[in-house]
Amino acid sequence: MANKNQYAMLFDATRCIDCRACMVACSVENNIPMDKTRIWVSGIGVSGQYPNLTRSTMVYHCMHCLEPDCASACPVGAWTKREDGPVVYNSEVCIGCRYCMNACPFGVPKFDWDKGIVEGPLIDKCSMCAHRIDDGLEPACVATCPTDALVFGDREELIAEAHGRIAAHPDRYVNHVYGETENGGTSYLVLSHVPFKDLGLPEGIGDEPLNTLSEQYVGNTIPVALTWATVLGAVTAGVHTYKHKNHKAESLVKETAEAAEEEIQ
Amino acid sequence: MKLKIRLSEKLHLTPGITIMLILIAWGLFVAMVRYANGIGAVSNLNDTYSWAFWISFDLFCGVALGSGAFTMAAIIHIFEIERFKPLLRPAILTGFLGYVMVIVALLVDLGRPERIWHMIVYQNHHSVLFEIGICVMTYTTVLAIEFAPVLFEGLRLPKIAHMLHRIVIPFVILGVVLSTLHQSSLGGLLLIQRSTLHPLWWTPILPLLFFISAIVVGLGMVILESSLSSRALHRGLEISLLSELASYIPYGLGIYLLLKFADLAYFGDLHYLFSSGMMSVLFWLEIIVGAVVPIIMFSQAKIRNSANGLLIGSLFVVVGLMINRFNVSWFAVEHIRNLPLAPDFMTQTSYFPSFMEVSISVGIVAAGVLAFTLAAKYLPLFEEEEETAVHEKTSALPRIQVQSGD
Ligand code: SF4
Ligand code: SF4
Repeated sequence: MANKNQYAMLFDATRCIDCRACMVACSVENNIPMDKTRIWVSGIGVSGQYPNLTRSTMVYHCMHCLEPDCASACPVGAWTKREDGPVVYNSEVCIGCRYCMNACPFGVPKFDWDKGIVEGPLIDKCSMCAHRIDDGLEPACVATCPTDALVFGDREELIAEAHGRIAAHPDRYVNHVYGETENGGTSYLVLSHVPFKDLGLPEGIGDEPLNTLSEQYVGNTIPVALTWATVLGAVTAGVHTYKHKNHKAESLVKETAEAAEEEIQ
Repeated sequence: MKLKIRLSEKLHLTPGITIMLILIAWGLFVAMVRYANGIGAVSNLNDTYSWAFWISFDLFCGVALGSGAFTMAAIIHIFEIERFKPLLRPAILTGFLGYVMVIVALLVDLGRPERIWHMIVYQNHHSVLFEIGICVMTYTTVLAIEFAPVLFEGLRLPKIAHMLHRIVIPFVILGVVLSTLHQSSLGGLLLIQRSTLHPLWWTPILPLLFFISAIVVGLGMVILESSLSSRALHRGLEISLLSELASYIPYGLGIYLLLKFADLAYFGDLHYLFSSGMMSVLFWLEIIVGAVVPIIMFSQAKIRNSANGLLIGSLFVVVGLMINRFNVSWFAVEHIRNLPLAPDFMTQTSYFPSFMEVSISVGIVAAGVLAFTLAAKYLPLFEEEEETAVHEKTSALPRIQVQSGD
């Protein structure tokens, strides 16, 4: 995968003013009920020691991983990483097992806990407004953001842009673009003036996608099954022949005796 | 006709059976509420704890505890250690009922149970859960086939029973392969949670550890279930056989411990053993209850040869395994999304199973126990009844034919 020409979003925590317009825009655009949301804007609060205080805010989206764990985990393949970036959901096939929620290291997918069998619960998460991208538009959150804390564009260009901002103001930023390599790279990139941990972004995910190992594991299923079946078959046959070798002679004698008996009768 | 005579052994509504019926009815009621108003209406599951009590208990423990069926089938049919035969049928039945219970529980837990067949149609070959789903479905069918002879004998259809007896070997092998796959894959399910599962538990060899512990607990379950049913149904106990099974357990657990600690050492995680607070406590709890105590108990012939020793030792094995599965699938999983200043519906990071949530699982277990009791009453489940009765009957058939053709 790792298509070079895919879209991404860049969030710059230093520019966010915690106005939450993106949340509203998202809910309106995607028809999200009042008590749910796809984006969460979190005022982290004030950190540091007086007089060097910083205030920070984080906007949580789906990270739109290049190698999404939700997609790898889903037993029915409800998730697709589109060539142009968004990780999108197929509500028609989802069985509601919620493995994707467990597999996603960023805790993104959400479930309809309040829906019974008639309404049919589904998973919900940010789609990067894939329908708007198809119409040549930016995602609703990006289009709304008054400070350009959220911008949308080509992933490679955005990464270059992010490094450009760091280079221009090395004192302002942490020297890292979160999402450039995390979990194999993501299409939601974050720039920050405080440690990423303080923004609630998990550290220690590493650069290798979490699903590499489990996909290798599943990939071995068929060869392992065939080998194991052959071994077990061989053992069964071996044990059987061994155990019955001794009995054979006995039963042969018996059989001939019985046959002789019948003849006499 | 004979069927009627058989069933005239009336089922008395003993207190035990009454209690089980009440539990089942209550569980059914809660399940109805769940189907009407959603999973959130009966459980405390939430976006942070999307898998918890149901998955840990019903799926992780349920599947592992059902492993006695494949372990015994392998011992008896593949290694042809015939003397264990009296233990086979109850083990297969326990396994079969266990897997049916797992499936019923999953139909409650799945958001859209009516789409369960999607697993067969929309296959995602990268998903461990897909592999487990297919294996569990197929294996439950295999267990039904392995158990079918008992049913046909119970129905006095020895010919069909005998026919099924003859083709059982391929199914046994298939069953062992499927079991190996999905018992390991339950561990494989957690491979993807490297960043959230505590390092005392997360390791690339999780599948192997799951497989070994499943075999051990399979033996443990056979011992436990024989001990319990001999008490409840007033049958004799096959002490010498169970004692021999119990003598295998320390080896299995020994290998498990060796791998577990070698793995921790290899990844440099040994320091977590005493430095992770509650996690360290939970880890030692599962190791001591599930491995150390059983190893000590079952390596002593005196304990192995006493009915109480077998019961208590196997209880340790089973409870220890359950602690392990709860740890690995729930307690030791770090639940992220600790967002500051978010409203309740987004930050609910606490979880404790609700009464209704637990009562569904309890109802399912009660149904399983009841089904086992009924089967023990009406089917030739224990060897004394079937081995002499039916085998002689079936082997007598050809002889009669020979004589009549004379
Ligand atoms: S952040 Fe989570 S939900 Fe989004 S693409 Fe990655 S794994 Fe999937
Ligand atoms: S809940 Fe739906 S989308 Fe998520 S893994 Fe299960 S089937 Fe796939």
